[in-house]
Amino acid sequence: MSITGFIAKNAFRNRRRAALSVVSVAVSLFLLVTLLVGVRELTVPPEDLGTASRIIARNKISLANLLPARQRATIEKIPGVLAVTPFTWFGGTYKGEQAMTFAQFAVDPATLFQVMEDAKMPADQLAAFQAERTTCIVGKVTAEKYGIKVGDRFQLGGTFWPYDLDMRVAGIYQGTIDDRNIFFHHKYLDELSGGGQVGTWWIRATSTEQVGPVVEAINKAFANTSAEVRAETERAFQLSFVSMMGNIKLLIHSICSVVVFTLVLVSASTMSMAIRERFRELAVLKALGFRRRELFSFILAESFGLAMAGAVLGVGGAYCLFTYLDVSKLTNGIFVVLEVTPKIIGVSCLVAASLGIVSSIAPAISVARMSVVEGLKTLD
Amino acid sequence: MALPITYNIRNVLVRWRSTLATILGIALVVAVYMMVQALAVGLQQNSANTGDERNLLIVRKGSTAESSSQVTREQLQLLKFVEGIDKDAKGQPLISADVLVLINLPRKEGRGEANVLVRGVSPAGLELRPQVKLVEGRWLSPGKREVVASKRLAGRFAQLQIGDKFKTAGQELTVVGWLEAGKSAFDSEIWMDADEARSVFDREFYSTVLARVSNAAAAAAITNRLETDKRLPLRGLRETDYYKSQTMTATPIRFLGNFLATAMSVGAIFAAMNTMYASVGARTREVGTLRVLGYRRRTVLLSFLLEGAFLSLLGGILGCLLSLPMNGYSTGTLSFENFSEVVFDFSITPALIMKGLIFSVIVGLIGSLFPALRAARLPVIASLKSL
Repeated sequence: MSITGFIAKNAFRNRRRAALSVVSVAVSLFLLVTLLVGVRELTVPPEDLGTASRIIARNKISLANLLPARQRATIEKIPGVLAVTPFTWFGGTYKGEQAMTFAQFAVDPATLFQVMEDAKMPADQLAAFQAERTTCIVGKVTAEKYGIKVGDRFQLGGTFWPYDLDMRVAGIYQGTIDDRNIFFHHKYLDELSGGGQVGTWWIRATSTEQVGPVVEAINKAFANTSAEVRAETERAFQLSFVSMMGNIKLLIHSICSVVVFTLVLVSASTMSMAIRERFRELAVLKALGFRRRELFSFILAESFGLAMAGAVLGVGGAYCLFTYLDVSKLTNGIFVVLEVTPKIIGVSCLVAASLGIVSSIAPAISVARMSVVEGLKTLD
Repeated sequence: MALPITYNIRNVLVRWRSTLATILGIALVVAVYMMVQALAVGLQQNSANTGDERNLLIVRKGSTAESSSQVTREQLQLLKFVEGIDKDAKGQPLISADVLVLINLPRKEGRGEANVLVRGVSPAGLELRPQVKLVEGRWLSPGKREVVASKRLAGRFAQLQIGDKFKTAGQELTVVGWLEAGKSAFDSEIWMDADEARSVFDREFYSTVLARVSNAAAAAAITNRLETDKRLPLRGLRETDYYKSQTMTATPIRFLGNFLATAMSVGAIFAAMNTMYASVGARTREVGTLRVLGYRRRTVLLSFLLEGAFLSLLGGILGCLLSLPMNGYSTGTLSFENFSEVVFDFSITPALIMKGLIFSVIVGLIGSLFPALRAARLPVIASLKSL
């Protein structure tokens, strides 16, 4: 029998225990990958093509304070600005649902698709949307979720704004990083509220190089006015939400370390159990002339192999799950995508590898210490 | 029955080396579960602590947060003279019209920014909320650009020390005092004068109105009138009920806790299974002896189940002890109701400890079910012969 065969035979001689160890390592690594991916999505928001050239301007006091609509003319005149649209969060409720899975924004239909360059929609639908004031367009994900078709009636109840909206669906768009949002005419909202106020401005710069100067120019243009503006890149805007979440990153990272520690405990004890069971055989091997080093490598190979099998199952399983399944449906819209990056795969496999090594240390030491006679005498 | 119980329980203690890792593993799983749930419980207590039974909160119909509510000055005038509102010593109605504004403030040590809720209160506002107490500095003077910040917020934000000035909406506000509000939602707020807030933030309207209506029948009458009066598109409800219903923020945390508990408990169950299988395997002869002595299969089954439950209960107790130091630790996150920072404590309640212990026992029972079945099914003669 070859050495490899010997190790494999040993690892699987108690099939149930081997399976239980592999699966428990796999489950824990799956959890670890899920947490790492989740915290990455929360702290490093997804971006698409347009992210680099988009700028968001909000009220300097905070996002919840509105801006005067008259600012638009000033922003449009700034060199380097390609297109501007108001972007006002409506915060309505749909079909009486408590937790909303999509956001609704009042925008300017004429410039929306210039600002959101990634959004794709048939030309006739876009024309229909731009032509009629009480129409809206629906993201593909939301449209599929609720079975919304072009031409359907779409009603929203107001919470943040004290008005209810009654609209017709003019089109269904796709291609943005988050195809869930609903867009409708800002004029419709103005008509109900009397107008004059918008939530934020979304601006597209002519090129990525222009972003910095445009941001600066916007901030300067409204400094010391009654409505001071904070313009920033879309990236910085997204990251400000991360900062608001507080200590969530710390919380998840501490949970990750507990998971890893638990893993070490469990697999180390399993490995010790496996070795204790065959103390006598190891004593026989010793008597036959195998050295400590060789015995250690047997134990190490077995424990490493089991841990790596768990890694393949757990990390691979997580990768397949998050890559090939519809994450947005799976998490009910909490996450749009869960990207298992090479770094996360690397970290998890590294955890598994060190797990294999660490859990072989204790049994290896006890084997090294045992005298042949003592080992041969062991009963169980 | 006595022997199988003592035998199995003593066994857990005698073989402590092999069971210790399992116990620790279960302890860590329980500790994680407890800590995440303690966050959810703390958040919930935070909103449940808020308000006074005697107060009626009046908000705009349809608004889901105080900050998105609107009450016009005309509506406030009408409300002031509604019958049933308690009067103060001078015979004025005990009513406060509040303005709620979210402002963006830098966190301490340059760790980004977050939204904080500013509450502009009328002079009666403090009297209406006996939970809120000044702990340092002095109270704000009406008509001045002064604020009293929550002491707990001051621990998290850069510019809220007494004497600090911070700029918002182009105006400078001075922090003159710190308040504490008995671990309620007011502990996440900055207070200032309502009319100053309206002028600084250029608000035409008030956000909400709070009135003391200690007579329950009068409160019901006012609520009813608001429901039917077309001139007043407002809704009245007990202040305590309003805050109690604010549970949106705790929901995802609870979800995270349950997800973690489920995933980690699968690992813990496998660990318990491994330990118990090894334990049964090593005691095959002893089990045979028990059977020869006349103990029945179901007794053996039960006793091994008990052993598993006892083992993981020890883990559960240890887990609870591990999580206890977090009790009362203050933290903060984004409130999904107000979209602002909410400061609250990890809160480990007796009910939560009970849940943690039950959870650990369930893990133990599931983990020991198959090993116990195996022990119960061992053929007597063969097991007696085994080494």
